[in-house]
Amino acid sequence: MVATEGLAARWRRDGIERIAAISRADETALRESVRELLSGAGRGAPPLRAAERSTLESEGPASAERWRRRLSPLLARHAPRHRFRWTLVEALRDVFPARGEPVSHARRRISLEGDFTAASRRRDESRRFSFHAPETESLTDEIRNRLARAAEPREAPVPVSEGATDAILAAGSAAVLFHEILSHPLEAGAASPLTGLSEAKVACGDLEVRDDAMRLDLFGGYEWDDEGTRPRAVKLLDAGRLVGRLTSRATAAAASGRESSNGHGRRAEAWDPPLPRGSNLVVSAGATTGEELLRRLGQGLWIEELDAGSVELASGSFRLRFPRARRVRRGRLADELGAGILAGEILPSLKAIETGLGREVHAYRALGWCARSGQVVPVQGEAPDVLIRGLAVRAAG
Amino acid sequence: MSEISLERRLEAAAPGAWELYRKEGSSRETWRAGRERFDSFRRETGVAARWWDPAPRFAAAGSPEALSRAMGLASEPAVGPASPPAWPTGTSAAEDLPEFESPPELAEELGRLVAAESRGEATLSALTLRRGVTLERVVNARGLDVAWKSEATTGVAEAVGRRGSRSCEARAVFRWDAAGDLTGLARRLSDRATLPLSDRASPIDRGEWLLDVSVTAALLAGIAPLFVRDDPPPWALRADVLQPDLSLVDDATPDAPFDGEGTRSRRVVLVENGIRRGELHDLASAGRSGASPTGHGVRRSYRTPPTRSPRRLFLESIRPRPQRDLLATVRRGLFAAALTTPLLCDLENDRYEAEFTGVVVVAGRAQGPVAAARARGRISELLRRIAAIAPEQEFLPSPYPIGGTAALVERATFL
Repeated sequence: MVATEGLAARWRRDGIERIAAISRADETALRESVRELLSGAGRGAPPLRAAERSTLESEGPASAERWRRRLSPLLARHAPRHRFRWTLVEALRDVFPARGEPVSHARRRISLEGDFTAASRRRDESRRFSFHAPETESLTDEIRNRLARAAEPREAPVPVSEGATDAILAAGSAAVLFHEILSHPLEAGAASPLTGLSEAKVACGDLEVRDDAMRLDLFGGYEWDDEGTRPRAVKLLDAGRLVGRLTSRATAAAASGRESSNGHGRRAEAWDPPLPRGSNLVVSAGATTGEELLRRLGQGLWIEELDAGSVELASGSFRLRFPRARRVRRGRLADELGAGILAGEILPSLKAIETGLGREVHAYRALGWCARSGQVVPVQGEAPDVLIRGLAVRAAG
Repeated sequence: MSEISLERRLEAAAPGAWELYRKEGSSRETWRAGRERFDSFRRETGVAARWWDPAPRFAAAGSPEALSRAMGLASEPAVGPASPPAWPTGTSAAEDLPEFESPPELAEELGRLVAAESRGEATLSALTLRRGVTLERVVNARGLDVAWKSEATTGVAEAVGRRGSRSCEARAVFRWDAAGDLTGLARRLSDRATLPLSDRASPIDRGEWLLDVSVTAALLAGIAPLFVRDDPPPWALRADVLQPDLSLVDDATPDAPFDGEGTRSRRVVLVENGIRRGELHDLASAGRSGASPTGHGVRRSYRTPPTRSPRRLFLESIRPRPQRDLLATVRRGLFAAALTTPLLCDLENDRYEAEFTGVVVVAGRAQGPVAAARARGRISELLRRIAAIAPEQEFLPSPYPIGGTAALVERATFL
């Protein structure tokens, strides 16, 4: 049981920002943080107003015990040999902005992560499982279904061949691709190959991608950002055109009134500076069936899991790691493949996404956290099956 | 509620089987990126308790009052019983949180050095410097009461290299125990930002492999779990791990006199003159194995219970050789200036894969950059093929200090 609190006072003007943070949230800490801030900034004390706080009555052990009772039989049935860690995080954040009303919001999030032993046709094997979601009553069924799917018997994998490949990112895993090649490059202040391409058509006309923090059914959702702004769903790609980017109050101020915050100023902890960050990356569905996508793919990879991703914004190169895949031959699923790495560059890869997206959208619950500049914030996404051509692939490890 | 009240409460709940930890820290951080600047001050206090009632319990909070509430909540879930560890004993003098200065303004100077080292191809994009002090105290049911302070300066420097339409980001983390080596940092950053711009693949498929300090540190970080596992893979139990003149040591005594459980820090030789000798233990693993704790119960934060981990790991050599000698020894090989992706170490299957940027070396002379090369093979062979290391060490934070040193691998296969 870990119960922590923190309080930070923040001051920003003319490109200079200061934060003073104390690991308590009482009046003494407030005075200390403001005093520390003023001593460096030479400013008068800001007015303090009381926020109507959200109520987050900690259910503490009752909630933990309830989840332990739910998860124990479920894990015993679907993953009897496992080493999982589950976490229930209750977070309450209050923001007192210089302009605007104070806001308060609360979230409860659950994560289940670890390794379990599953049967494959050759021998038992260790598999990784990762699941992140906001706490809801119906979550148990979703965990059960995903765990049962993850534990299904498989053929022994063969190593991935190195070279160029086309791939279908299925089961929502395309959310990871778009998180890396759209969300990060479109965080305000980031210099990337997408910088200066506003309104340019960079992908096929089917593609509509938005960042939607108000999707509270996804792990990255929130009702207010960490600067006290109500988030808006931000269209990043509309019919293949770049139409938006993710902004915070600080980046909006730096843009001298040319834009406003769309509620993406996020901080990992009280003492971190808010940065423009993505939340839930949502890709709209198309109208193509899985069979049709496979037929169009012909030869390539069918990937349902991506367990890591990274992007280097200056060069625009990105990597996605998959723990397993299926080879596709003549439009049919063939060999089970081992872990591998897909690599590409942002602009060519956006262009290489085929018209015709899958008609069902899937939440990708394995995506839960994103690190940037040492700050780790909750994120998630949902996407239909996506066919992308011309990525580089090689075996991982 | 005072800490003494907490101790009484813990003794009532778990007689003879509890531990109380307190951490107090202050830090100042500066971030500079062109004309943008960010300064932060942070003061953090945390308390954590472990107790066995007889189920193992852990609670942490930002104050004794909050910890008291958290302990109440942590006591309720049904958990199976377990044996508490054999607690250390001893006392030390009380300490006060020391004063400390703000980090120095180094961005301009580092920016000039990066530009000079890269002949104008790389630009410092951001520099983060953090200086902090901490005061830690552990008391337990056996009467242990020790406290110690520590101080560290750490940072992250970021640069962008540009050549024509191509660009590349680079990042270097550092930790300075004394005055910082700005020139070395600028060289490392410049190499990382500009070498990948060459677009040149490795022209050789095997040869000697000279490792930069950061690459050696990544290798040590990759193999470190072999010395904190109850069941290391069979290949790691071979007697001869390194060449006969090399040793692998963990010695955190320069950083702190105690670990996060109050066990006194000491020098532990893991591999002595090439032969595997020891392993690292916290209280729990020592209890399981019947060994003595070595002072390696590490708390990354007061919010997490101590875990078994290295604390300050480095290589030693009976016959270290200056870095220029190592370079002169290379007949045909690659110098790995920096990893371009995290080193993959598959300890179960004794395999590694490194992707790096660097320089071709022929007859001891640099012949030109290599944008990206890969080396892969058996970890056991890689370790045994480390022929020599340089005497200079730089401790990098990852997340515990790891001593990076230039190292020469006598043979490697490149892709």
